[in-house]
Amino acid sequence: MRLTTLARRWRAHPAAVPSPGPGPPAIQQAAGRNRGSLQLRHVDAGSCNGCELEIASIFSPVYDAERFGIRLEASPRHADGLLVTGPVTRNMADPLRKTLEAVPRPRVVVAVGDCARNCGVFRGAYGVEGSVADVVPVDLEIPGCPPDPATIITALRGLAGT
Amino acid sequence: MTGALLVATALLGLAASLAGAIAPGRIRTLLSSVLTIASCGFGLAVATEVLHTGHVAVVHTDRLLPLSGFSLMLDRFGALFVAVSAVVGICAMVFRLGYDGHGLSSRTASSVLPLFVTTLLLVPTAASVTTFLFLWELMAVSSLLLVLVDHRRRPEVQEAAQWYAVMTQFGAAALLLGLVLLATRTGGQSFAAIAAGSAHLPSWVKSSAFVLVVIGFGSKAGMVPLHVWLPRAHPEAPGPVSALMSAAMVNLGIYGIVRVGDGLLGGGPVWWWLLVMTLGALSALFGSLHSATSTDLKRLLAYSTTDNVGLMLLGVGASGLFASAGHQSLALVALAAALLHVVFHAVFKGSLFLTASSIQQATGTRDLDQLGGLLKRMPVTGSLFLVGGLSIAALPPLCGFVSEWLLLQAMLHGLPSSNPAIAVAMPIGVGVLALTGGLTALTFVKAAGIGLLGRPRTKPAAQAGEVHESMWIGAGVLATLCLVFGVAPFLVIPAVLDAARNVIGTHIPDPLVGGWQVGLSGIHGVLAPGLLGLGLLVAVSLVAGARRLVQRAAVRRTEAWGCGREVQTARMQYTATSFGEPLTRVFEDVLSPSHDLDVSHVAESRYYVEAATFHTSLNDGFERHLYRPAAGGLRWWGTIARRVPNGSVHRYLAFGLVALIVVLVVVA
Repeated sequence: MRLTTLARRWRAHPAAVPSPGPGPPAIQQAAGRNRGSLQLRHVDAGSCNGCELEIASIFSPVYDAERFGIRLEASPRHADGLLVTGPVTRNMADPLRKTLEAVPRPRVVVAVGDCARNCGVFRGAYGVEGSVADVVPVDLEIPGCPPDPATIITALRGLAGT
Repeated sequence: MTGALLVATALLGLAASLAGAIAPGRIRTLLSSVLTIASCGFGLAVATEVLHTGHVAVVHTDRLLPLSGFSLMLDRFGALFVAVSAVVGICAMVFRLGYDGHGLSSRTASSVLPLFVTTLLLVPTAASVTTFLFLWELMAVSSLLLVLVDHRRRPEVQEAAQWYAVMTQFGAAALLLGLVLLATRTGGQSFAAIAAGSAHLPSWVKSSAFVLVVIGFGSKAGMVPLHVWLPRAHPEAPGPVSALMSAAMVNLGIYGIVRVGDGLLGGGPVWWWLLVMTLGALSALFGSLHSATSTDLKRLLAYSTTDNVGLMLLGVGASGLFASAGHQSLALVALAAALLHVVFHAVFKGSLFLTASSIQQATGTRDLDQLGGLLKRMPVTGSLFLVGGLSIAALPPLCGFVSEWLLLQAMLHGLPSSNPAIAVAMPIGVGVLALTGGLTALTFVKAAGIGLLGRPRTKPAAQAGEVHESMWIGAGVLATLCLVFGVAPFLVIPAVLDAARNVIGTHIPDPLVGGWQVGLSGIHGVLAPGLLGLGLLVAVSLVAGARRLVQRAAVRRTEAWGCGREVQTARMQYTATSFGEPLTRVFEDVLSPSHDLDVSHVAESRYYVEAATFHTSLNDGFERHLYRPAAGGLRWWGTIARRVPNGSVHRYLAFGLVALIVVLVVVA
């Protein structure tokens, strides 16, 4: 009961998340295209699930990313881009390529977390194919191990144009 | 003149049968088919002549059948059925030239098939009870032999033929009783004498004869609950035979009910026709439900035949109901709608059965769950199947739409009647028609979507190639007729009206608007199928043109989305079973599905599954709850009765003595 009350209070005042300001031209172009609505398909390419926890929490009442038009989509066919976490493992390299292939163009690829950017602590490990950028072209990187929700939302707001 | 043509039809049919029996193997099929086509041609000629002029063709000879003579008489009503049988017969025979397999080229089959076609042509011309029963039995036996053609290779054929034999003989027995009752009570066995004498018959004689005749003809037409042979025998019969049975033979059941009920008995009380309508509604619902959930292509078509026979019976029953309430004009429209559906059903069901047989020949299977992607591999056959499917789903501008529209109109315009039977029956009839229409559309979305589209699910389906050209022509003529009759129904409607007027009274004025339009005179609601077709064509081309104009980016084709799986197989596609699954759930009480899940574990640990097999099947409720117990009872009776003749000569002599005494006592 008390927890619910707490959540309701937070829900009434979601955390303030700063706007990213104008980004590089490619991101600005994507923002113009998306016009306040960004549908992303999430691909876990081999993550430790730390980033997943943070991604889950950006849709919680506290951060409520949906108020900025950011949503997770079940099918890549309906998505504007991919949200990739973790170093790309050998088993996930082809599925990642296939998922990207299934997204209608033009699309964006967001690499979330240090592992997605440069394999992080898993660099050189057995079974790791490489960073996300080694497998598919990446448009936006979000640093952090894991990146906190506000950072993720700020970066995605740039893409959504909100 | 017409009589001579009729004789020529019969003689050519016999010649074809003889040719099939004695011609050497290489030319056997060709010779018997060509002679049968010629016979059908003569049949079509005499039928169109009779339909056109109204002159009745009469043939009578005392030499063929002892005591009674053999008499044929073709009026407009019979001529309609002869014409339908002839057209289907010609197409099936052309189809047969390219059809191999199922042992249809054997000596027996080549000689029996022409006989079957000829009896189909002659049954509607029979003019006396003996002639009729003779031809009827000849038709039943020849079709039974044709169902059995492939019995050596496939045991299920034998079972199907057993069902067919029992049901058809049961029907024939009912028919014999009914017709003989009429013949003895009216004092003449020719149809003319029965028709003349039936007005003075006591009502119980008329009613019992009618019920017996409905049972007899209903079993041939595949009416519920006498339909159980149909979904077995039609799929197991060779392609052309199944088309002939489904498109021509079941029609004769409708012919018989109308001929006896409306023609010989001159109509009857309200409950007769309510009975017919009820049986029709049951058949339509039951047939369409089972065809929507069947996964066997030809079984699906067979159940759909039961469904369509139900619609015809609905029309026949509505017509009788209107006639007994005094609405002569509406009665004529309802009967004409039913007859129109007979004609159109023959056209589209013939084409569907023929193309389904082509598919079976090309892939070796009828199971929809093993087909797929056939439209690319068999473009002509697949397109012909699509035309038939659209037509049976009653979509304009194809012919199924016209007859179902007319049937609907006839029933809807009965609604303001003050007769309570009509006021209750017609809304139910309209509802049944609407529900079956939807289910039929679903059925053929399934058949075409699973069988023709997608990817081939098995190797035989992937390697399927186009079939022989004669098989295209056979099915193609019927598919073309679907389109022609759909756009220009005025080609057949006058003939159908004449045929209907022929049985229920000639004084009724023409109730239909003619020309390019179809409609009921004096009532709002007119259908112009030609304009409708033209409108559809324009609309489709406009949409296609607009799409081409609007489309900006080039189309990018990629693999179907399969959650990023490495290997995607054709088995991951939607199947016919899964397509019908929601419907199976909703109608669980009627379809009574049975599931069987068998899981085996590896020897080391029960946590690991080695193999899982899942088996699901739908049961015919009538078969399970009506026929199985009846067959069990008969078998029980057989074992009991076998104790009586135990082989002892003394006992047999005693039986003889007792029987003699009983006879003497009774006679004295």
